[in-house]
Amino acid sequence: MSLKRIFLNCALGLAVTLAASGTHNWRASAADGGTLVMATSQVPRHFNGAVQSGLATAMPSTQIFASPLRYDDNWNPKPYLAESWEVSPDGLSVTLKLVKNAVFHDGKPVTSEDVAFSIMTIKANHPFQTMLAAVDKVETPDPFTAVIKLTHPHPALLLAMSPALMPILPKHIYGDGQDVKSHPANLKPVGSGPYRLTEYKQGEFYTLEKFDKFFIAGRPKLDKIVVRIVSDSNAALVSIERADVNVLPFVTGVRDIERLEKMPGVTVTNKGFTGIGPINWLAFNTKKKPLDDVRVRQAIAYAANRDFITSKLMSGKAVAATGPIAPGSPLDEPNVEKYKLDLAKSGELLDAAGYPKKPDGSRMALTIDYIPGTDEQQRNVAEYLRSQLKRAGINLEVRAAPDFPTWAQRVSSFDFDMTMDTVFNWGDPVIGVDRTYLTSNIRKGIIWSNTQQYSNPKVDELLAAAARETSPEKRTAMYSEFQKIVVADVPIYFVNASPYHNAFSKGLASLPTTIWGVMSPLDEINWETPPKN
Amino acid sequence: MSTMEAPRAREPSALPSRPAASPLAAMLRQFGRSPAGVIGAIVLLALVLITLLGPTFYGIDPLDLAGAPFTPPGADAWLGTDYLGRDILAGLIYGGRATLTVGGVAAVITIVIGVTVGALAGFFGGAVDTALVKLTEFFQILPSLLFAMVLVTLFGQTLTTITIAIGVVSWPTAARLTRAEFLRLRNLDFVKASRAAGAGNGHLILRVVLPNALPPIIVSATLAIGVAILFEGGLSFLGLGDPNTMSWGLMIGQNRNYVLDSWWTVTFPGAAIFIAVLAISLIGDGINDAINPRLRKRG
Repeated sequence: MSLKRIFLNCALGLAVTLAASGTHNWRASAADGGTLVMATSQVPRHFNGAVQSGLATAMPSTQIFASPLRYDDNWNPKPYLAESWEVSPDGLSVTLKLVKNAVFHDGKPVTSEDVAFSIMTIKANHPFQTMLAAVDKVETPDPFTAVIKLTHPHPALLLAMSPALMPILPKHIYGDGQDVKSHPANLKPVGSGPYRLTEYKQGEFYTLEKFDKFFIAGRPKLDKIVVRIVSDSNAALVSIERADVNVLPFVTGVRDIERLEKMPGVTVTNKGFTGIGPINWLAFNTKKKPLDDVRVRQAIAYAANRDFITSKLMSGKAVAATGPIAPGSPLDEPNVEKYKLDLAKSGELLDAAGYPKKPDGSRMALTIDYIPGTDEQQRNVAEYLRSQLKRAGINLEVRAAPDFPTWAQRVSSFDFDMTMDTVFNWGDPVIGVDRTYLTSNIRKGIIWSNTQQYSNPKVDELLAAAARETSPEKRTAMYSEFQKIVVADVPIYFVNASPYHNAFSKGLASLPTTIWGVMSPLDEINWETPPKN
Repeated sequence: MSTMEAPRAREPSALPSRPAASPLAAMLRQFGRSPAGVIGAIVLLALVLITLLGPTFYGIDPLDLAGAPFTPPGADAWLGTDYLGRDILAGLIYGGRATLTVGGVAAVITIVIGVTVGALAGFFGGAVDTALVKLTEFFQILPSLLFAMVLVTLFGQTLTTITIAIGVVSWPTAARLTRAEFLRLRNLDFVKASRAAGAGNGHLILRVVLPNALPPIIVSATLAIGVAILFEGGLSFLGLGDPNTMSWGLMIGQNRNYVLDSWWTVTFPGAAIFIAVLAISLIGDGINDAINPRLRKRG
């Protein structure tokens, strides 16, 4: 009884303290300044995006660390730590001129040595191995010039210099000989970005405070960002409705999005995710009978109804994806076979492939897996496909996996017929697209490699050539051809771009709608009209 | 009844092998006098008939996309459709088969394991009893829902696994009940008399003690069906149902995210589970009234 009372008192005290501090902050805030409270279910393992991929680390890492370049909402690179950059005519070296006034949070200047150290660290440690594979070395002729030397032309490098992918680490801290992957400074990071990490309570919250000596004058506009870790999406929704929380990033639930759109004090946008390029798709095991026959895969594509999935199952919140490069990317080729619903054609293809209708109306039996946990994007689509493909004579058995590792184990060991999956493009095809289609990336045991075991020499050739092509026009043409071939070969039936949305309290201005969204420095967002509390 | 069975009994007829009237026959007669029990039996029978005969009258496949998603109850779909456009009424009819089968089979597993363990422990006593009671207690202290979740996770989300898992985690109650009855009965005169007449242990357990211990076990078995149905619903709610077999629990589990916008997707299967479990509980009550001597009406 007394314990309960103590607990209650503590909770009350905490609530009062929070309320008081909240009020204080709002009063202090004019047009600039003020606090932003975010809620996310993404728990960062640490804050060093140089050695860790994923949204959970990218969001704080891009606030703490600056990168050579940043991007606008139209895929144009913008100066950040690099005030200018130049690619040599042969495409084998990229020269970065750094800003001269950038300092790390500990006051030491950012130099080309730090850039060189960071690039080589990322190349050695980051999970995206293709991202900087072409980098041979980084030369530092003077403290503010870094020359990246490449073994072959590597146009993907420009996107690889984005905030989420190339945080510039201070060499004097991370270069002390310890393993960067487990460096203690990953939890107490020192960067040169607009915010400093001042507090982190594992799994509860982290606080980012304005870095006064940030190299862009007048930024960041906010004083403080508090990121609360809220695993329950309902709780997060209630918080933003009550304005206890001001930003809710990475919302994918269709019902959640609809609820947010109905909240009077909230703005919802799907802008800010074309950089990640998340695609929700149905993957086939192309080495397993009967799916080794392209006609069977095409028949399934004609029998599935993408329109129904995007308009009905996802209430029109998700954009259709028709090929391996996400919609919204300048490289997306829209003129590919769309596989519009055509059950007659599906039947013809299955007949031709040698799977005639049996007396009971069925032609074959297959299994379908899905990633557990994201019902609307994965499970519901699998359930839908079971009902829908039955019309084409394909009996699907849905195999539920109790947890992510079980699913990943099945798929990466090729123990599946078909599976729903969600994969990110990560900006340039070389970083996030090639891995799914290259013959050389059929690697048993590794999830999100070429688990379809798809192999087409022409595709391998095109991807290899496009990765080195310095002419943007030729490169676009190569990726167009690649997309047409892959869509015709159907190792994957592309369904939709995952309907990622960010929600913001009204009153916030200069929202992060660039291609990287909240995985880019939040130095411009500010309170136009601070919330009344 | 007793005259019919007399030739099979080995013990001399001078010694009574069991109380004069068959308890089962008396129980049935008494059950008819319990209004709750009769209502429960009628409702359950109706549910079973609907799930068995429903498909002949209502020819929609429960997994088929019968209409637009979230169609409210009306002319297009009597009880509406779910998030994929699957017919709720068809789901109730076919789902009832799975749900009631899971309930029945899981209850049988519960009773078979429970009675075996309880009978052996209660009849033999001593070291056997100690060991079996420890085993029962071990299973009893495991949080049953968690234990069932582990079993289903390990062995796959199929209806068979789920049924077995429910049976495997629910038997301790039946075991304790049976053991208590056996402890009470094993030293009574009629058992001693049978033993003196040369009956072996197997015969004593199965033919002499068990029939007399049966009435409370039957009540427990009836209630076990209800518990198993709720259990299946709970597992499905947590996402551990068999996704390939429509069941009431699965309908609730898969549609629960939409309850605020589309009440019918969850309300109807929920009501079905409620009615089924209520009917079974009423039957259990009726049987209890029938076999409890203190409540038994003479006449």
